[in-house]
Amino acid sequence: MKELKKIEEDHELLRVKNLKKYYPIHGGFFKRKIGDVKAVDRISLTLKKGETFGLVGESGCGKSTAGRTILRLTNATDGEIIFDNQDITRLRGRKLREVRRHFQMVFQDPYASLNPKMMVGHIVDEPIRNYSSNNHRDIRPKVKQLLNKVGLREEDYYKYPHEFSGGQRQRIGIARALALNPKLIVADEPVSALDVSIQSQVLNLLKDIQEVFDLTYLFIAHDLSVVKHMSDRIGVMYLGNLVEVATKQDMYKNPMHPYTQALTSAIPNPNPLRRKERIILKGDVPSPQHPPSGCVFHTRCPMAMEACKKVVPELKEVRPNHQVACLLYDR
Amino acid sequence: MINSPKHLKYSKKMSPWAMARKKFMKNKLAMVSTCFLLFVIVISFLAPYITTTDITRVNIGETSLPPSSDHWLGTDKSGRDVYTRLLYGGRVSLMVGISVTFIVISFGSLIGSIAGYFGGVVDNLLMRFTDFVLNFPFLVFVIVLNAILFGTVSGVWVLIIVISLLSWGGTARIVRSKILAEKENEYIIAAQSIGTSSAKVIIRHLLPNVISAIIVQATLLFAGMIAVEAALSYLNFGVPQTVPSWGNMLSSANEPDVLQGKPWIWIPPALALIVTILSINFIGEGLKDALNPKSTR
Repeated sequence: MKELKKIEEDHELLRVKNLKKYYPIHGGFFKRKIGDVKAVDRISLTLKKGETFGLVGESGCGKSTAGRTILRLTNATDGEIIFDNQDITRLRGRKLREVRRHFQMVFQDPYASLNPKMMVGHIVDEPIRNYSSNNHRDIRPKVKQLLNKVGLREEDYYKYPHEFSGGQRQRIGIARALALNPKLIVADEPVSALDVSIQSQVLNLLKDIQEVFDLTYLFIAHDLSVVKHMSDRIGVMYLGNLVEVATKQDMYKNPMHPYTQALTSAIPNPNPLRRKERIILKGDVPSPQHPPSGCVFHTRCPMAMEACKKVVPELKEVRPNHQVACLLYDR
Repeated sequence: MINSPKHLKYSKKMSPWAMARKKFMKNKLAMVSTCFLLFVIVISFLAPYITTTDITRVNIGETSLPPSSDHWLGTDKSGRDVYTRLLYGGRVSLMVGISVTFIVISFGSLIGSIAGYFGGVVDNLLMRFTDFVLNFPFLVFVIVLNAILFGTVSGVWVLIIVISLLSWGGTARIVRSKILAEKENEYIIAAQSIGTSSAKVIIRHLLPNVISAIIVQATLLFAGMIAVEAALSYLNFGVPQTVPSWGNMLSSANEPDVLQGKPWIWIPPALALIVTILSINFIGEGLKDALNPKSTR
């Protein structure tokens, strides 16, 4: 494996502290607030410049919401987002627009994320036009170059999204995200809508451009093998909470949180001799509107203790570079 | 173009607009209607060059004459040439229709897209205002406003302003509902994430994707407003009696002897109205099919 990537250990690009995103529920006769959907509940993470942080979890656990909240596409309920030493949690208007150019997003659905009525070239050059007074013609050579870099042809500039396949559309989306030379890209399940045969191409493209453009990724996915291929460090989310953060190797060789253990045991192994016994979790994910007390996982945890119902476990460094939020390691 | 092969071959490089245009050109009924409407518009606006008779001249010696070589469609009770008045009347009727449609579509789309895109309080305020306007009793308000505004602006424009003021609500609602559905698409949040301002998101991304609904609404409005003008003028609440319009010409038919014995006075404007409105509706139908990527007709 080529490990040419340079991660600047002492350069913290993004720090998220106790981020919360609650969606209020209104009900009753007067439409009063009767509760919250706790989509993201107190997550903290840091991204070093040049690394890829994988965020995994099953659908509905809040990983996409976390990504969007970090990019300020929705407003955080509470917490802090510090991007490149600047607190962007409460920025508004022009200042927010000014920092936006430094972080971009690659979306999940390549069919919905491109305006069907716009020419590909104009889709890709829109970010540049937003931050300069250039017109289409001024930046056409640059945009064509960009299309080349993501594996499209120059003449694709004049086509429309409906003429492309899913994988090619995702390349267009990547080109749009790259147009402003951002520092951080949040990739929200960028390959989960694609054919398996296309997935690896797009993943490798993402890896290649990371080196060329010096990018930091927050890579959101639910496919564990995809995350393993992409990430340097991995965070596991369950019901709006970050339950375990570790380096890739650690996470797969030595998962510590019972939820992570169950997840990793579910990865199919092609070698029948090395198959491990699967841990089957019982029950469904509880509703984020009424999350369980104490540790949110205790209702399904095979190792739950009495204390788990009351005490909320904190994310703590249990081993070097390995944080777990579980009472089992709390001594 | 009309005789192109049954299976349209869209070349791969076609923009969504070019595909819609090709589909529309294939629709015979819509194309015939378009030609007819263009013909009506052209002859109406060229009326001063086509007709020779003076439109305002009242000729007591030639009242209620049947069609002849002098007066192709006869004369009315005041001795005015029906053919001349028909052309000039079309001018007024079409102008009312086009102007009202333009004002209503512009204003309705503006209100509707702002309400739909921003949602929340803005949406609530704008939509309650829209409901308020929609609740005005149309006929009563037209009569009252007509009386208030009479004399402040030239004849036809009073009617145009009054009808527009009362009719934009429906368009605002339709545009809002379309925008509400469209803004859920990921490309809208993508546009926000690349720093596109709200106004540009609406103009560049949302409106082009709901324009088909707006265009169809415009054709319906156009046809409807011509009918509204005719109805109001027939009731003598429309354009002033001195200005010929298809509705004003029809209003002479409320005398029994004209209705029974002198059909040349009212049949020409009635026919012109019916055929024009029908052709606009056919055009609207054709546009609806052409702009809907899912229809294969």
